[in-house]
Amino acid sequence: MRYEFMHLILSRLRASLLAWLTLGIGPALAQQPVDTTITLKSIAGLQYDQPRLVLKPKTRLRLVLENYDDMAHNLVVTRPNARVRVVDAALRLGAEGASRHYVPDMPEVLAHTREVEPGRADTLLLTVDEGAFPYVCTYPGHGYVMYGILYGTRDPKRLPPPEADPYLPKRGSTAVHAGHHQPSGHPYEVTLPAVYRTFMPDCGPAAIAVGMPGLAGGPVQSYCFDAGICQLRYAWSGGFVDNADQWDGKGQKLTKLVGDIYYVASAPGRPSTAGLTVSTTTKPGAAPAPSPAGLVFPLRIGSKPAGHSPVVQFRGYRLINRYPEFQYVVDGVTVRELIKPLPGGRGLVRQFSIDKTKQPITFLADEQPGLAYRATQTGKTAALRNGQLLLPAGTRQFTIFMTVQ
Amino acid sequence: MRFSLVYLLSALATTTGLLLWSPWSVGTRTTLASATNHSNKWSVGIGAPSARTTVTIPAKNTKTRGQATGDTITDYYSVETVPTPPGLVAETGGLAFMPDGRLAVCFHRGEVMLYDPKTKQWKLFAEGLHDPLGVIAVSNTELLIVHRPELTRIKDTNNDGVADVYETVIDQFGMSGNYHEYAFGPVRDRQGNLYISLNAASNGAGIRDEVRGTYDPLGRPGRMYACVPYRGWVLKQTPAGQVIPYALGFRSPNGIGFDAAGRLFVTDNQGDWLGTSKLYHVEPGKFYGHPSSLVWKKDFPDIDPLTLSVQALDSMRTKEVVAFPHQRMAHSPTQIVPDLTRGKFGPFGGQLFIGEMDFSRLLRVMFDTIGGQLQGACIPFFDKAGLKIGNNRMAFSPDGSLWLGMTDHGWVGDRGLQVIRYKGGTPLDLTAMHLTATGFDLTFTQPLDDATARSLTNYTCRRYYYKYHREYGSPETDKQPVAVTAARLSPDRRTVSLTVDKLVPGYIYEFTLGDLRAGNGTKKVANRLVCYTLNRLR
Repeated sequence: MRYEFMHLILSRLRASLLAWLTLGIGPALAQQPVDTTITLKSIAGLQYDQPRLVLKPKTRLRLVLENYDDMAHNLVVTRPNARVRVVDAALRLGAEGASRHYVPDMPEVLAHTREVEPGRADTLLLTVDEGAFPYVCTYPGHGYVMYGILYGTRDPKRLPPPEADPYLPKRGSTAVHAGHHQPSGHPYEVTLPAVYRTFMPDCGPAAIAVGMPGLAGGPVQSYCFDAGICQLRYAWSGGFVDNADQWDGKGQKLTKLVGDIYYVASAPGRPSTAGLTVSTTTKPGAAPAPSPAGLVFPLRIGSKPAGHSPVVQFRGYRLINRYPEFQYVVDGVTVRELIKPLPGGRGLVRQFSIDKTKQPITFLADEQPGLAYRATQTGKTAALRNGQLLLPAGTRQFTIFMTVQ
Repeated sequence: MRFSLVYLLSALATTTGLLLWSPWSVGTRTTLASATNHSNKWSVGIGAPSARTTVTIPAKNTKTRGQATGDTITDYYSVETVPTPPGLVAETGGLAFMPDGRLAVCFHRGEVMLYDPKTKQWKLFAEGLHDPLGVIAVSNTELLIVHRPELTRIKDTNNDGVADVYETVIDQFGMSGNYHEYAFGPVRDRQGNLYISLNAASNGAGIRDEVRGTYDPLGRPGRMYACVPYRGWVLKQTPAGQVIPYALGFRSPNGIGFDAAGRLFVTDNQGDWLGTSKLYHVEPGKFYGHPSSLVWKKDFPDIDPLTLSVQALDSMRTKEVVAFPHQRMAHSPTQIVPDLTRGKFGPFGGQLFIGEMDFSRLLRVMFDTIGGQLQGACIPFFDKAGLKIGNNRMAFSPDGSLWLGMTDHGWVGDRGLQVIRYKGGTPLDLTAMHLTATGFDLTFTQPLDDATARSLTNYTCRRYYYKYHREYGSPETDKQPVAVTAARLSPDRRTVSLTVDKLVPGYIYEFTLGDLRAGNGTKKVANRLVCYTLNRLR
């Protein structure tokens, strides 16, 4: 006991000495944003000379693109996991592309250069956040191979080695890449389909991440379902999730998704990063808050007016061959939704089963450029009109096919 | 000390060039009792974070410790580490025995695994949960598990040994996305009602842009806060499915459980508004002192509860039945389990055992009833006798052994599973402590040796209290020695009646026992420190 006490005093003394040192110098320097300039070259073979940049968060980056190639390029920094989505949108600019430097107008674009002719240079400015930010040439066709990754991190040792980095172009070495074994973090291999309830970005806190195997030669696909509002939030291809940060410590950090987002549920009339639902008067027993992200719920029960926010209640899920089939109640009607990957390509197959109700049901397609909707009802093709599928009372099942074009 | 440690760690992190210590780590459980226990672990953690998963503190050799001093607790109880599967990061969130004797265990990364003590085999039952922190085994194929977003019923309906149904049971509470919004429980009463307890959020971190449930900015100020519904509450669900906000005023209620008489208790963790960690007897509608949760109380006015005076809040609150003096007894009390083993776990039948995160010990509670109200004393159990720290979860096996699940979860702690088994015999220890008009009756497991029991030098007493205030923790306040003026031994020599010079309500009476003996000097008193929370006089 006496020994312990002495030790306590000693360690306290040592700690306060160190505390002075640290307080005096360390944090003050660490908080200072740093300015830096990096020059990237676009070189022959549709590539940047540096495919991976690692910087400390809060760095103010001046990024220069010098074009050493014999064709025009640009450089676009995107939000995490949004490279393919931006590249697809750039492609859809069509004839308008050139006048816009092939940069689509969307929130996923964080910063960009202009189109840079051979022998020229251009510069973009960006404050680096914590995260993994793809940079890519959105000149038509280039973006599927010509890209790199900018990491904002204080802990570069935790980055994967370049040969195992899922965000780097695979330059003909897919065998090596596929052969790299990432530990699952569990006492077993993770088998797809797989479900994680976790904190996901751009979703409410009650998120469910589902990873699915590629079917008929298609890529691995994943989606995020929001159990708080009973709604599909977004989907991506090329990977599942990385839980390392979320599992570490107390659980504040978000799980990262691995791959490229191809669908994000849109919120008409409201920004995609919607604010809080604020109420100072609501007390227990009041109706639940409306959809926090301003999303349109995909199912309308009966003839509710446009803009009606249904009352939803999540009921859980059951696993069917490891695929979760969600169950939730929408305005009193129980619905089950089973989401599978579209075979052979990017997209989702969503099978809805409806409990007995005397009311008609409307499916409201979240129509977006580059996304095609198709529907079947009891095996037959059903027509979507103006983005809506009208289902007569008594409909028990229908399937929505979302295909990325 | 708390802040010193933080600085020590940040200094270490700085010198090793790593910035592992985020601002939000300055949290609720950072004080260390004995740096000797932990410094090795932390330095490993800082030097090589990826190696932390494999770091374990070796259990101390219980046998050699026991032999050196003659009569120790390890003569009566053994502790053993249970191997966990390779690749498992065994941050234990819940333990429960199924009717067939298998142990259901849930872990931080969402795994639910079943361990068969007979075959010593582990098997995966369910996966993908979000930080599960408690489990009830309903049957051999069905569990109730609480995790961040909800209480979930998990069933194997096709009898392939793996769960296939995950039914939402309770999700009628908010989530701000703040890391500290843990959900604890579940426990079930004799009528089949279910209870869970919900942690408040911490200002060590913010909230998400999107929250689940209604956001109320009046619940946002404060060190620990409740800006979405029922953070800092206990919720009850009736067998018919109705969810009832049951009691409020909790900060970090990481322990909820019933005693042998069916009374509900919650442990809460030292911090803002908790001068020290506590055990509350939870009754419907009552407020237990942490203010932020008041915003979700029906008919509470539209004000920030922190604008109320301390006196007003103090008059509204129900005090703890037992305080766990900080450092002396506990830093972070955890689960509550009653000993219903009918003697299979030794001489403390019917009493509550409580886990502790930062010390190699459990706590044991001895109740007293004064004027129909509970109060009582706490005493260590199996103190520094080879148990790991980080004892987050506990479950009694049908064979009467006590299984323990460790976690660290970003705080001080450890990982893995251990089991304490009663070997037989009767250690010399306190079994009851009752307030009298002039002092306390201390009842022991067996007759005491006359001379030691009657010697006043064997009883040192002092009193102090912890402040109820907004600040984090509290010093021992108004500390005073209390003279023990008489020690009378009962005819059966098991009860010592102590007279003390003054009994004042609102104080903790802390006794340090001297070298009490039994069995003609062959048995030494196992635990010398006992703290009685004196709320009311007899």
